Amino acid sequence: MTRPNPDAVSLRGIVKRFPGVLANDHVDLDVGRGEIHALMGENGAGKSTLMSVLYGLHRPDEGTISLHGKEVSFGSPAQAIDAGVGMVQQGFALFGELTVTENVVFGSEPTRRGLLDRKAATARVTELIERHELRLRPGDRVRDLPVGLRQRVEILKLLYRDAGVLILDEPTAVLTPPETERLFGVLRALAAEDRTILLVSHKLQEVLAVSDHVTVLRDGRVSARGRTADQTAAGLAAAMTGREVDLDRVHPAGTPGETVFEARSLTVPGVEGKPLLDDVSLTVCAGEIVGVAGVAGNGQAELSGAITGLLKTGGTIVLNGQSLDGLSVRARRDAGLAHVPEDRAEVGSAPTAGLRENLAVGFHRKRPLVRKGFLRRKAIDDHASAIIEDYDVRASGPAAAMGTLSGGNQQKAIFGRELTHDAPFLLVEQPTRGVDVGAIENIHARLVAHRDAGHAVLLISAELSEILALSDRVLVLFEGRIVAEFTKDEADQHTVGLAMAGGAG
Amino acid sequence: MSRVRLIAVPVAAALVLGAILLLATGTDPLAAYGAIVSGAFGPDGIGDTLAYAVPVAGMATALAIPLRAGMVNLGGEGQLVLGAISALAVGLYVPGPGPVKVILALLAGVVAGAAYAALAAVCENRLGVPLLISTLLLSYPAMSLAGYLVRFPLKDAGSSLPQSPQLSARLPEIDGVTTGIFLVVAVIAVYAVIDARTPAGFETKVTGWAPRFAAYAGIDRPKLTLRLLAASGGTAGLVGAIAVLGFPYRFIDGALITPQYTWIGLLAALLAGASPLGTLLAAVFFAALTSGGFAMERATQVPRELTAVLQAVLIIFLAATSGVFKRKAKRA
Repeated sequence: MTRPNPDAVSLRGIVKRFPGVLANDHVDLDVGRGEIHALMGENGAGKSTLMSVLYGLHRPDEGTISLHGKEVSFGSPAQAIDAGVGMVQQGFALFGELTVTENVVFGSEPTRRGLLDRKAATARVTELIERHELRLRPGDRVRDLPVGLRQRVEILKLLYRDAGVLILDEPTAVLTPPETERLFGVLRALAAEDRTILLVSHKLQEVLAVSDHVTVLRDGRVSARGRTADQTAAGLAAAMTGREVDLDRVHPAGTPGETVFEARSLTVPGVEGKPLLDDVSLTVCAGEIVGVAGVAGNGQAELSGAITGLLKTGGTIVLNGQSLDGLSVRARRDAGLAHVPEDRAEVGSAPTAGLRENLAVGFHRKRPLVRKGFLRRKAIDDHASAIIEDYDVRASGPAAAMGTLSGGNQQKAIFGRELTHDAPFLLVEQPTRGVDVGAIENIHARLVAHRDAGHAVLLISAELSEILALSDRVLVLFEGRIVAEFTKDEADQHTVGLAMAGGAG
Repeated sequence: MSRVRLIAVPVAAALVLGAILLLATGTDPLAAYGAIVSGAFGPDGIGDTLAYAVPVAGMATALAIPLRAGMVNLGGEGQLVLGAISALAVGLYVPGPGPVKVILALLAGVVAGAAYAALAAVCENRLGVPLLISTLLLSYPAMSLAGYLVRFPLKDAGSSLPQSPQLSARLPEIDGVTTGIFLVVAVIAVYAVIDARTPAGFETKVTGWAPRFAAYAGIDRPKLTLRLLAASGGTAGLVGAIAVLGFPYRFIDGALITPQYTWIGLLAALLAGASPLGTLLAAVFFAALTSGGFAMERATQVPRELTAVLQAVLIIFLAATSGVFKRKAKRA
């Protein structure tokens, strides 16, 4: 496609410094009208900073911003939206108790004699919904909408303010594959009516599927740019990481041994009769990775809680021939459970405490960290250093506070701690959420090696490509039930994706 | 910011603000401050400071123990008074040689305080009553019970005051300071070692850092709550026992409440983040401010309440710069 002139968005020589960090180092970004432009990069590469500059959250230290050829300067997001630049943040900013219409008009409500003009608001919102085929009902309460539709409410908010430039920050992170497809349909339609879409993403396949142009940032600088049609996944990954990355590698199947873990009829009652976890039974063998696919909120948290003992449930669990029923979290861990939780910051670690202390947890009652009832400082240090080295955790040292590490390094540390237990059964949740491409590769390889060493692994992930890359068997969790099971050969994007959306068969 | 600056800046700021207040009342700030320092640490004052520091540091440690795990024991007064009255009853009625009576009385104080605080823990663990509420509310009946006992069954018949007879079994004194000071120091030393060197201390700290992480790691919160509260209440009970076994060797209703040992101790523990040594230092510092305040009042006519103002200003500055109260809010 040819680029209409002038560009809708043109950033020239943007420099943004934070104390000790050069977040954007003379970045140029040109986005044509009616174009879907992907901005890629690892965590900390400077994408969010660049978008914050465009969106008026930060003022650049150097460089200029032009919209449609006119130089602009935003002091706040409000000024940016007035100039037609809007952003959908990762965490939505919606009022659950209010309706779609109320959420959309909030902040610039149509009024009649100083009062809210509900009729005009509803009419305007209805018209926008129909014109853009967003399939929302203006009167629905946002609380009752699934995530995919909430996201459309956010988009609708921008359209209501007549944004010509829409920035979406990792919009697919919370969506099912079919929802993602529908979002892309909406984005294409918006681009077709000459709106400009800036898509911040680190997912290669999506960028390749939906965008017209792509710009890749690494360490605050542009490391690649061009028409998406000319790019390959491997090339983009290399531009993001600065090295060759083995992408979407589907790891070979393992050789399962005896059953290590068996859960029967796990049930967690819900509030209104509908159970959150409904009669779930599954087994995991030694040397096997069983993947649990599913969109977040379909019972994953309950399944994990049932296994770890953090949640009281019906049903029985046998681990290594020992019944876990009624056992405490600690007793379950002693019986052979290791666990990488979904929430790194709140559950998997103590962010204010040092890496050393974080790595000692779980080992703090055993030799060699304890001798004659007392903790040995030297042993704690050695234990931490060994994990930091083995798992390539980048930190200023064992004393560094956990919260100062990057997401990938926190995750490597937690992985290191849990794998070091050498427990027969490992429960892993969302192992690579918010983790860079490079660290993903490392973590996946670790998991497969752990499996090949004869451990049983239960992998819970909302990332379908991850499930497909690692699992020897795939289970699909939908509305608290296991609705489908696939062998490694049967499982693919389409079949599993369909089951995740409830279309099992 | 370095640790030294974290303390030095707020202290300096509080002193400057206090100096302005003093100037406004027409007093020479240097003279007033000098009187506080010599009153607190001079040859005439150090005894008072230590005598006051024993219960304050003891209570500070008692409250620091659960605070290390993020649990707040607001029932220190009840545990303190119950410990005192139990020690008194044992001292009055259990027969035996003096030293044995003293030891039994101390034990009775510890057990009473521990059991009563443990009751609050059970309320949280079994009935879901938040510790903050169960400890605080259980405190009032304990104080009332002690008040009743000392007015009726344990009253000194020869006195019109709500006070008990004097005990014959006593903790000896050295220059006006009870030897109970060694017991308090020993408790703090034990707390410091457990905190720094044992798995139990480690689990306590992990719970304080991140409660959900602690639960994930298999730390049994109800059990920990029970143990920490028992240790806390036991320490408070010990402080009460030391108080009645020292001068004036009797239980006087309200005598352990009016001086605010518990609340000053709680402040010290909060400011020090419940670290054993920090809590001790903060408690001694507040004790010194208080006894120095009396000396200043005698020397300069400035009312000793000024030291309370200084203390308050200092706490606010310390809290603002060190962010001890900020951590939780930032996460939310």
